[in-house]
Amino acid sequence: MSAANLYLERPALTPAAEDLREEVRTFIAEQRDSGALPPPERIGLGFDVDMTQRIADRGWIGLTWPRQYGGQERSALERYVMNEELLAASVPVGAHWVADRQSGPVLLKFGTEEQKRFYLPQIASGNCYFCIGMSEPESGSDLASLKTRADRVAGGWRINGRKIWTTNAHRVHYMIALARTSPAEGARHAGISQLIIDLKAPGVTVTPIISMAGEHDFNEVLLEDVLVPDEALIGTEGNGWNQVSAELAYERSGPERWLSSFRLISELVDVLGADTQPSTQEELGRLISHLLALRQLSLAVAGMIEQGKSPNIEASIVKDLGTKFEQEAVRVARNIASAEDLVGNGRAPRLRALLMHAQQYAPAFTIRGGTNEILRGIIARGIGLR
Amino acid sequence: MNENQTFFRATIERILADTVGKAELDHAEERQLPEAFFSVLVENGITSMLLPEDTGGIGASLGDAAIILRAAGAAAAPGPLLETMLAQKLLASSGLGPAQGLLSLVFINEAPGLVGSRWSDAVLHDVPWSQAVEKILIVSRSGNEARLLVSDPAGWTTEPGMDAAGEPRDLLTAEAIDVTSANCGDYDSWLCAASMLRAAQILGSAEWSLRRSIEYASERKQFGREIGKFQAVQQMLAELAGHILAAATIVEAAADDCHPTMIAAARSRLGDAADAAIAISHQVHGALGFSQEYALNSRTRRLMAWRDDFGSVLYWRRVLARQFTGLSREAFWPAIADAGATVPR
Ligand SMILES: Cc1cc2nc3c(=O)[nH]c(=O)nc-3n(C[C@H](O)[C@H](O)[C@H](O)COP(=O)(O)OP(=O)(O)OC[C@H]3O[C@@H](n4cnc5c(N)ncnc54)[C@H](O)[C@@H]3O)c2cc1C
Repeated sequence: MSAANLYLERPALTPAAEDLREEVRTFIAEQRDSGALPPPERIGLGFDVDMTQRIADRGWIGLTWPRQYGGQERSALERYVMNEELLAASVPVGAHWVADRQSGPVLLKFGTEEQKRFYLPQIASGNCYFCIGMSEPESGSDLASLKTRADRVAGGWRINGRKIWTTNAHRVHYMIALARTSPAEGARHAGISQLIIDLKAPGVTVTPIISMAGEHDFNEVLLEDVLVPDEALIGTEGNGWNQVSAELAYERSGPERWLSSFRLISELVDVLGADTQPSTQEELGRLISHLLALRQLSLAVAGMIEQGKSPNIEASIVKDLGTKFEQEAVRVARNIASAEDLVGNGRAPRLRALLMHAQQYAPAFTIRGGTNEILRGIIARGIGLR
Repeated sequence: MNENQTFFRATIERILADTVGKAELDHAEERQLPEAFFSVLVENGITSMLLPEDTGGIGASLGDAAIILRAAGAAAAPGPLLETMLAQKLLASSGLGPAQGLLSLVFINEAPGLVGSRWSDAVLHDVPWSQAVEKILIVSRSGNEARLLVSDPAGWTTEPGMDAAGEPRDLLTAEAIDVTSANCGDYDSWLCAASMLRAAQILGSAEWSLRRSIEYASERKQFGREIGKFQAVQQMLAELAGHILAAATIVEAAADDCHPTMIAAARSRLGDAADAAIAISHQVHGALGFSQEYALNSRTRRLMAWRDDFGSVLYWRRVLARQFTGLSREAFWPAIADAGATVPR
């Protein structure tokens, strides 16, 4: 992409994708009927291993992966459609989300045959979850400055360091850690590698960090002389930076970047009813138009992935716009709720709870997965300014 | 874009490069049409492209016309191009026969004083290029229906006016004027069509503003380097790029099948993108962009002129919201995902 052709082709949704959408909607209706999906009072991806199991039973984890590794060989567009349906219905997909979105695909792309055979079928069957071990106390946006080291020992690696903000480290099986495997000589992006760490291994200490929304989602992970075998290395030693860039593109391109608080808007629409003030319609109409535009953008990005392209810049744009949209949605929902007299009077308790949680959560939207300032730097490079 | 559309784009870009430049833009602010531009458009059948083949057109779709207008918007081409294209289609659809020259077009919510073909105490506001056209078409609402009124410019008393871009938008009055009239179907559908075509023009101008600003940021030096090397400038332009890409995808979706929900969404989203384009492209250009001489204002003033045309941004937001209010929390998402695919409520 350059300034001259800032352009995204919008793909046509295939009949297979539309069929899958219907299947997912039927699944959601069944889950609602059985009481497994009560209307939520918090935003975010719930962590629910039973739900993950039910999703895996339908073959919906690793949907695009080769059959020999437990996948279904379906298209990226189908996966997009499935995910938007699940997210919009607030299905708790948090347990398998990272493994399905990025750990599995990284293994598929860079892993050894043995790694693929070992991990992918377990992920696809809903029995194996991952977390992301990138950030460190001294290395956030400037990830390449990381200090965690993996030193060569007979038959493997010895890892020392400290990872932080590691979402779900207390309830998943593995972490893909980014660590320095050789000194940074010259290029600071060189000498970094990706290694799989079993979180039950000796020397791993996971300590909770409670978020300002009062939840225990992320952690500090202390790595003290953690020994991992040779087979823990993903891809090539020293190629970690390239691999992690690919991983971040998976992490940034999905519809969760503008659907994580969708339930707040749908709850608002539900309690508002049809009779609203013009100013409410104007604010709501604006939000919906941004949502529809983001959806078209996301579809186009999924179409690019389907064509084997790597839409780094486009994904950065979707995440920048999507996360800003989500913060804006919280502000607008709050204003509409007060304009329409829905708060402070017990009229809409679920909306009140969602609003409270969404407000507390919203600052994280534009930080997690790479801050918007960093994303805009990537976009600026894409349009030829850097 | 299909093959036809690629062809249309190449054709219009060539015509624009040959016939619309600074002189034509300046003349338009003196109420002079870019004659050469329009004569080539007429010759190439572009002004009448929306007519069916059996009435002298090429049966082009509104989506094809949007390709033409996006390019025209990027070039800030002055004159009643959108108006003529859509007015031709209106004439054909209502059986009032074709017109040879350029046409002006306005939408009104009521026509008090109209009895049969005689219209007393008639008033029309903001009529584009009323002195330069062969006929003035008025789409008047009666209930859900549209009534098409066709009038002669000569029958009106004209008070010249202009829009923010300096193009003529006149106040027309008449104690009594004769009009030809016919029913022409659903009012909202015609308004949607006009609105979608205007969206394409707005998008074109906004895209140009972004492109020019990126180029300028790579040319202009301060503190010994290109201003585009400063992170503050990069962040502004990255933000604008996001607005433009989002607006472009939703405008294309609206142009593809002219679904009213997507058109309303496009105009709403585009409103924010146009505001960002005006603010950011001028900020990046510094004082230079504020001068009349420099080309940026020919685009940004058109964004100002067009932003609220054929239904304001707020109007389209209300229209859009009404498609979704009253839905249950479970029904809301399916309505979003299926928007554009189903018949609106
Ligand atoms: C809810 C949540 C979950 C997370 N989960 C994980 C996880 O599972 N695994 C993981 O590894 N990490 C996780 N993170 C961490 C996240 O990736 C980092 O917070 C993020 O990369 C930013 O790093 P930082 O917090 O150190 O901020 P800093 O990098 O210190 O940035 C602070 C501020 O400075 C700005 N800034 C920094 N550098 C620049 C620059 N060059 N130009 C302009 N501005 C700059 C930033 O944009 C930001 O506004 C999570 C974060 C959150 C909030």
